[in-house]
Amino acid sequence: MVYTIRVATLEDCKDIYRMIMELAKHEKVSDQVKIAQRDLEQDGFSKNPFFQSIIAEVPEQHRSKDGHSKVGYALYFFAYSSWKGRSVYMEDLYVMPEYRGKGIGKALMSKIAQLGLAAGCNQLNFAVLNWNKESMDFYLSQGCWDVTTGLDYHCMRCEGPALEALARGDPKN
Amino acid sequence: MDFMIRAATPEDCKDISRMIMELAVYENMPDQVKISHEVLEQDGFCKNPFFHCLVAEVAEQYRTTEGYTVIGYALFFYTYSTWKGRSVYMEDLYVMPEFRGEFPGKGVGTALMSKVAQVGKEQQCVRLQFSVLNWNTPSLDFYKAKGAQDLTDSEGWHVLRFDGEALDKLAQMAPKN
Repeated sequence: MVYTIRVATLEDCKDIYRMIMELAKHEKVSDQVKIAQRDLEQDGFSKNPFFQSIIAEVPEQHRSKDGHSKVGYALYFFAYSSWKGRSVYMEDLYVMPEYRGKGIGKALMSKIAQLGLAAGCNQLNFAVLNWNKESMDFYLSQGCWDVTTGLDYHCMRCEGPALEALARGDPKN
Repeated sequence: MDFMIRAATPEDCKDISRMIMELAVYENMPDQVKISHEVLEQDGFCKNPFFHCLVAEVAEQYRTTEGYTVIGYALFFYTYSTWKGRSVYMEDLYVMPEFRGEFPGKGVGTALMSKVAQVGKEQQCVRLQFSVLNWNTPSLDFYKAKGAQDLTDSEGWHVLRFDGEALDKLAQMAPKN
């Protein structure tokens, strides 16, 4: 099947949001999505965007039964390693179920790697749930390595009341 | 002892680079540091910086035996969650050993981390994320006391990485359209 991978535009936010919700619904966690389409538009397409996005699109004759021709997306942003320098972080990679198995996911990931290298990055990082064996096996087979297992780093997060309390704490300026 | 937290300037990059190396030594990986203070200057102070940095500075009378007054730093950048929105990632938090622990919860490390949270909040960030080495008990205790959750333990999150040849190979597969 023919498809193209291209940089997302503001007009694509509707489809990106649709696909974010599809993924959340599939994982039975739709109530976890707290952002709206408008947030994607503001946060991804303003002067200092928080993320970049690429879209996989199929021609009219291959569009889905609901009429969608945008069938996959990847969302990423630039990050930094104080040891290695510029890096890129892939936050989301998604292909609609009926379009899987055709290399679209790999093509999206590959495009991020290409764009990252062009921007002077030397790492592409992303997160996977360690019980998601299928994904883990797929990614490891592509040549990446598990930083958490390999170096013993744990991912930590502050949010909600803990983050509020931390922000309120009073730096001695 | 008095200290102040302020935004880093390009001139601070030599001190930040020094402390990056000190942190790498503490983490038992000094050979992993590949970038110089010049790279930090380019990447942190260009038009679209790849990171932001705060430094902790003490008054002259508290300078170290080598003469340093910049004695801690926090390096961070903005990230995004497609479920929750704007976030901030704290890549490094470091305080020179002789300036740690004076006032648990009220010291230099806490002040730096608080300022990162505050700056993030001003940008409407709803999360602050970072990594800790699993054997680094003093740091794990420090962060857990502030309400941080360990996502690797609680949810099974692992970070995977493409670098070196594997990254080149992946990029070469990209469709040429």
